[in-house]
Amino acid sequence: MEGFTSGKGTAESAPEEFKTGTTTVGIVADEGVVLATDRRASLGGRFVSNKDADKIIEVHPSAAITISGSVGAGQTFADQLQAQTSLYETRRGKEMSMQALSTTAANAIRGMRVVPLLGGVDETGGHLYSLDPAGGLMEDTYGSTGSGMQMAYGVLEGEYEDGMSVSEAETAARAAVEAASARDTASGNGAMVARITDDGIEREELSAEEL
Amino acid sequence: MQGNSQQQAYDRGTNIFSPDGRLYQVEYAREAIKRGSPSVGIRFESDDEAGVVFVASGRLRSSLQVPDSIEKIHKVDDHVGVASAGHVADARQLVDVARRQAQVERLRFGEDAGIEALTKEITGYIQEYTQAGGARPFGAALLVGGLDADGTPHLFETDPSGTPYEWEAIAIGGNSEKIQGYLEAEYESDTDADGALELAFHALEDASEGGLESEGMSASVISGDGFRSLSNDELHELIDGHDLAADEDDEE
Repeated sequence: MEGFTSGKGTAESAPEEFKTGTTTVGIVADEGVVLATDRRASLGGRFVSNKDADKIIEVHPSAAITISGSVGAGQTFADQLQAQTSLYETRRGKEMSMQALSTTAANAIRGMRVVPLLGGVDETGGHLYSLDPAGGLMEDTYGSTGSGMQMAYGVLEGEYEDGMSVSEAETAARAAVEAASARDTASGNGAMVARITDDGIEREELSAEEL
Repeated sequence: MQGNSQQQAYDRGTNIFSPDGRLYQVEYAREAIKRGSPSVGIRFESDDEAGVVFVASGRLRSSLQVPDSIEKIHKVDDHVGVASAGHVADARQLVDVARRQAQVERLRFGEDAGIEALTKEITGYIQEYTQAGGARPFGAALLVGGLDADGTPHLFETDPSGTPYEWEAIAIGGNSEKIQGYLEAEYESDTDADGALELAFHALEDASEGGLESEGMSASVISGDGFRSLSNDELHELIDGHDLAADEDDEE
């Protein structure tokens, strides 16, 4: 392995880490947000290291992130957000707004090799944000990250409509993950879907056949 | 001498409990606040306007002192302000804590700092000075007032122990008991900024000896329009308009 022969701790020489490869999708609907991801984790996008990877992580009673990029960075990032939202709620007696949560997330993510979507609901409605490792934060009404994002966006561009219902958004999100899974070697093994509304987060696992 | 100094040790130097569980330094700090001139805070909430007003009186040491150099009301952020009583230098230190914390909140959460959260940051800071060895508690009380992001007005008091209290209307500083009595009798929440200012001036006048000197006074309003301090002309107008001025002030 290169990591042992070069003797240098550079990024190129480090042993390859688990990556999600991944297709993740988020859509803002009329009464909430839908997140969907595939369930494959891979090494270098060529070896399937896990067929039941959980890439939607709840970070707030009514918000969750999808992770693409390094699995370790994504899990650490989610753990930190969970700690911060919990501390905020305990100290102040109210849940973080999506404005507060998204700003907190953008501050926490700097330097972490993860490209998440953050979706959640507060009293101002549903919100979806994309984040990047430099702390970038952009709000959108639909979006996708990961190696399958081109295929997913192709579907979303055709399917997304302003004010679509949660179930319509879920259908579109599943179709986007399905299209990416069909053509991206690093995406597949079914899907995970999360419907986030005022009532909280509802998750559903789908096998490749069900998708 | 040795025995005597041991008895006195409970109210000297560091903050330690007396045998009957009191913190004399904190109590002395409360006394220091009563020696100063008073500040009043009033929360108001009518159908078309909500916020907090502050009115503070200060003593001019000489006719040569520049009145604006007496700073008892401080802007903390666009939506929140502080009025102080007690040691002005101590209060200024706490105001700076509040100002920095208001910006930290914005950097962390992208939102205006909540009034309660901000107050608790200040009281947390004050409390550290009641436990740390070699430190002296803050000889100042603050009124922290402003609007939360949802437009709800809040008015908090901090004291030298580091305890936060929330009020509808409150007076701190010298003569505060008498002013508070007036506020308790006359306060109504359903009013606008002008009504709240009027009540504050009347309460201060009621407790004063012979009327108000507009030169030493300052007033600010925090509402949906932000933090605004009244000009000297506006102060004159309010005090004279309601016939609250001290007699010798009339002819100025």
